Amino acid sequence: MDPAPHILIVDDDREIRDLLGRFLERQGLRVSLARDAREARKLWPLGRYHLVVLDLMLPGESGLDFARWLRTQSDVPIVMLTAMGEETDRIVGLEIGADDYVAKPFNPRELLARIRAVLRRANGEGDRAREPPPKAIRFAGWTLEPARRRLLDPQGAEVTLTGGEYELLTVLVERANRVLTRDMLMDLLHGRQAGPFDRAIDVAVSRLRRKLEDDGRNPSLIKTVRGGGYVLAATVERAG
Amino acid sequence: MVVQAAGLTIHALDRVDLQRFAQAREVSARAFGVWRTMLLAPPERRRPILEEVDLPPGLSASLDREAAARDASGPPPPHLARLIRLEALLQGPHRFRPRELVVGGRSDRMLISLRLPDGEWLNLTLRVTPPRPWHSETFLVAFLLMTLTAIALVVWATRRLTRPVRELAEAADRLGRDVNSPPLPEAGPREVATAAHAFNTMAERIRRFVSDRTLMLAAISHDLRTPITRMRLRAEFVEDEEIRARMLADLVEMEAMVNASLAFARDDQAAEASVPLDLVALLRTVLDEATDAAAARGEASPPVDYAGPERLTLRARPLALKRAIGNLVQNALLHGGSARVRIEPPSGGTLRLVISDDGPGIPEESLEAVFQPFRRLEDSRNRETGGTGLGLPIARNILRGHGGDVVLANRPGGGLDAIVTLPA
Repeated sequence: MDPAPHILIVDDDREIRDLLGRFLERQGLRVSLARDAREARKLWPLGRYHLVVLDLMLPGESGLDFARWLRTQSDVPIVMLTAMGEETDRIVGLEIGADDYVAKPFNPRELLARIRAVLRRANGEGDRAREPPPKAIRFAGWTLEPARRRLLDPQGAEVTLTGGEYELLTVLVERANRVLTRDMLMDLLHGRQAGPFDRAIDVAVSRLRRKLEDDGRNPSLIKTVRGGGYVLAATVERAG
Repeated sequence: MVVQAAGLTIHALDRVDLQRFAQAREVSARAFGVWRTMLLAPPERRRPILEEVDLPPGLSASLDREAAARDASGPPPPHLARLIRLEALLQGPHRFRPRELVVGGRSDRMLISLRLPDGEWLNLTLRVTPPRPWHSETFLVAFLLMTLTAIALVVWATRRLTRPVRELAEAADRLGRDVNSPPLPEAGPREVATAAHAFNTMAERIRRFVSDRTLMLAAISHDLRTPITRMRLRAEFVEDEEIRARMLADLVEMEAMVNASLAFARDDQAAEASVPLDLVALLRTVLDEATDAAAARGEASPPVDYAGPERLTLRARPLALKRAIGNLVQNALLHGGSARVRIEPPSGGTLRLVISDDGPGIPEESLEAVFQPFRRLEDSRNRETGGTGLGLPIARNILRGHGGDVVLANRPGGGLDAIVTLPA
């Protein structure tokens, strides 16, 4: 992987495009800019991009259509820029295979953190062919729906999770029956090392256990591993 | 009832006439019948036969040596004289004519004495039997039947007449809660159809008015997002740490206002599907997020806690309900410094969720006013605690959209309770 990942930004607002480009360049990324889907298609063969930041509201061809086309070309990670309230676009985008989304007006630092996280994940997976995310992941009677970012209990009732709990559960489910140390979890979730006093993971785990009706004193689903780690002990089933 | 009484009286009078007529015919026919029988019977058989004869009410007969009519005090009462046609007796065949006929009256009776060929007298006494128009076996049944039918008809007609009014009241009530409630059917009598049409036109105008304002607010808020995004990016290039931090804080505040306005303006919840969800998990998420947000700002964990069942499933729109409860919890933390939540077990199809804080409360007269959009109390106008002015109205809109509500109440011991009701 290049020392400076190359990002393609597709946004129709010239100022946002230029400012975002300058901001990301200052953070040590290489950047190419496209005004709309047409320009992005022209730019696509000219470089080797590590990630695409895509505004879903584009003049002409929509961002979703461009994302679909992009998926036929490559597994390049996509971070969508969506308008708040347009849940349907967001869900469709994630179903097509976009990796993450940030709602406008976004916080540039948050976007940068998401870009870094997605790049790290894509890098970690190496050249393994990326499949579109499953519609539903079932474990121990519970159902996780990645595109809708929601959890359903065995009776089908929605169990609301905080963003952190959702990320943690996804990481645990994706690596079911594998022991994950606190450091690994912190790295997968936040891209940093867990400090000696950082109990955020433990707090998130205990909250998750309560929502999953897992007895905190004698957990059967998210087990504590001696020496500081956790494992999700369940058979995981993926449904297309 | 009056109409029925009048009808019954007419019926009764008719009956009196009919009864009189029938009585007259019967009495006269039977009187002649008795006379004929007496004529034809051998003299010694006359008494036993007379005893056996069944005479109608108002007519009696006896065999005597004397003509009873001779003792009469005067002429027969005219209405009785009309009853019996004595001419027919005298004009009949010769062998049926009496030897002698004496007619007289005594008080309300008419006496007729007829002399038989052997000299004996047949004395007939006619009495007026007062007509009894109200007395008949079928009368009671008929009366009950008529009364019941009349009651049923009256109830049916009244209902039919008042139904459109009731429907109009219900439609007005629905419109008050949901501007997009379906229109009234413009059917029925002309006056009713006109009223329904006028109502529908009014509802349509209200709808257009509301949607125009909603669209305007949504458009302004939506268009503000692009400049806010640009300013956030630009702020990243400001070298002065302090100025940058302040700019970003202002932008966060602006964004919160835009998002709240958008949430209030557009009917987000109408688009979201109602699904079964765990209210307790939703509540814990809201409280945990409040704790996390405080931690992210570098503040101490706010005092939040929850008491109630471990799980409680109900049907709701997850994002909308989370926003509503989130707003109430934020309000409690902002103005009351704490948020203690309890869910009371459902009773009578309703569950209560109470969010309590330890703040100073709200003056009694403002408890409802704070649900008006952009209505803030004077002491919350400063930047420190002032929200967007839309938190409570949005929460109430969403909860009412779920068939519930939220009200505020000061606790006697101090502090404010936000009392949420939801259909369980």
